[in-house]
Amino acid sequence: MTHKPFLRPLSAFIASAVIVGLPAVATANEPELSQTEVLTGLENPWDMAFLPDGTMFYTERCRGLSVRLPDGEVEHLLGMEGTEEYATTADDLVCEGQAGMNGVAVDPDFDENRTVYVYSASQMSEPRTNRVLRLTVNSDFNEVSDRTDIVEDIPYKPAATDHPFGDAGAHNGGRIRFSPDDGYLYVTTGDNHNSEIPQSPDLLGGKVLRIDRDGEAAEGNEPPEGFDPRIYTYGHRNVQGITFHPDTGQPIVTEHGPWHSDEINALVNGGNSGWDPKPNMAGRGDCPDDYCGYEPNQTEGMDPAERAAYMPVTDTETYPDAMQPAWKNDGLSQGIAPAEFLIGEQWGDWDGRLLVGFMGIGFGGTPVGQRINLIDIAEDGLSVNDIAEMSLPMGTARFRSIVLGPEGDLYTAVDEGSIYRITPE
Amino acid sequence: MKISLFFVIATALTMGSATLQAADKAAGEALYAEACAQCHGPNGKGMASFPSLSGRDADYITSRLETYRSGEKVGSNSFLMIPNATDLSDDDIANLAAFITESDE
Repeated sequence: MTHKPFLRPLSAFIASAVIVGLPAVATANEPELSQTEVLTGLENPWDMAFLPDGTMFYTERCRGLSVRLPDGEVEHLLGMEGTEEYATTADDLVCEGQAGMNGVAVDPDFDENRTVYVYSASQMSEPRTNRVLRLTVNSDFNEVSDRTDIVEDIPYKPAATDHPFGDAGAHNGGRIRFSPDDGYLYVTTGDNHNSEIPQSPDLLGGKVLRIDRDGEAAEGNEPPEGFDPRIYTYGHRNVQGITFHPDTGQPIVTEHGPWHSDEINALVNGGNSGWDPKPNMAGRGDCPDDYCGYEPNQTEGMDPAERAAYMPVTDTETYPDAMQPAWKNDGLSQGIAPAEFLIGEQWGDWDGRLLVGFMGIGFGGTPVGQRINLIDIAEDGLSVNDIAEMSLPMGTARFRSIVLGPEGDLYTAVDEGSIYRITPE
Repeated sequence: MKISLFFVIATALTMGSATLQAADKAAGEALYAEACAQCHGPNGKGMASFPSLSGRDADYITSRLETYRSGEKVGSNSFLMIPNATDLSDDDIANLAAFITESDE
């Protein structure tokens, strides 16, 4: 028997770990970690949001919104098309490819307004769009009502194209978070494998939106003249993680790289992240289905640095004022997704570190790279001081969401179907 | 003639049995854990953009892996499957098919 194709990435991973990752891990006061499997048997859990008493709202991408109460009881609140067991089923909410029900956020004033928000694909309008739904939770936590779609027009990829992961619903963004600093809701979106979207002034894909509870543009958004006022930053590829610097309040996002250069970006109001995958510009010719986002050689391996020169994530030649990434994952693309800051003395030397999770993808000789990194990001958001890898009792998985719980423990949802609680000892 | 027919049938049955017995499910499990589980999930249920293998029979698994091994594209994840299947031996494919099918039983 031959196992060559499988040993290659493993050896590559070991080599890269020796070269790049491990030396930075050694810090004097690292906590030992223990873990509890909070929920299992889930279908693609995508995101979580907590109340101070430990109540946990969570989404499953093709099922809907549920809540786990502090006593462990689970209530299924809002189901998507084709689901059962939910208190309410909304047949317009659909799941396809990477799209479905994604992010969830709890209103900062939940005690007063009992409001939560979710990001979901919907077929209410034609073509389909992604929407941000505002919902009221009843006092028994077993029903939601008063659905109001505060954003209705986030683009959705309607049909398959000739690209890796090219099915409908791809590059769908979907994380939503309230800033503890300004109180606005930030919404991250994706480019739909459509090269017109990221730099478009009015299409909301490839953007980070900043809105109020009614979906109106936040006061103080400063996109370029003529842009939709809800846009906080633009020129993104597929933002799957957002968090806020605990000292400065600056929003920090993760950005999936195109076979190279996953990025961490600290956002500047009105800024351009520099992603523009149009054909016939910046030295490129035609591209499959007019999207150069994986070129050149989109289905075959090649040196990531060559790719970066041809199709940069941040095109500073075309856009000299583009926001610069703080980190580029050593030039590799491995499915960077959730971001969260660790806060609390119980985390020892990790207190204040930025966590980023990787779902992992092994393509063209790149190690799969499933992991959670601990990153000491500079206060100005323009560089990193130190990078370590969190050694988890659970081992590796497709880390889809990372959220700090109200008691200071870490929760992570993995595509394998579980939500874990990780506790520092 | 009857003897010949019996011989043919018996031989065919014996060969079929031998093929099934030859599939090493333990080896298939090890290979699956190493090469497949990170995308298709530890139980083959599928995750994210990666399809479920549940309910697929051995012939389907074998056929798809042989197709990918030949370099032929099938679906939007071919770019990942073709490099993974390129160096698989017939035994590897049989072992994977046996394990994946058994896991689903």
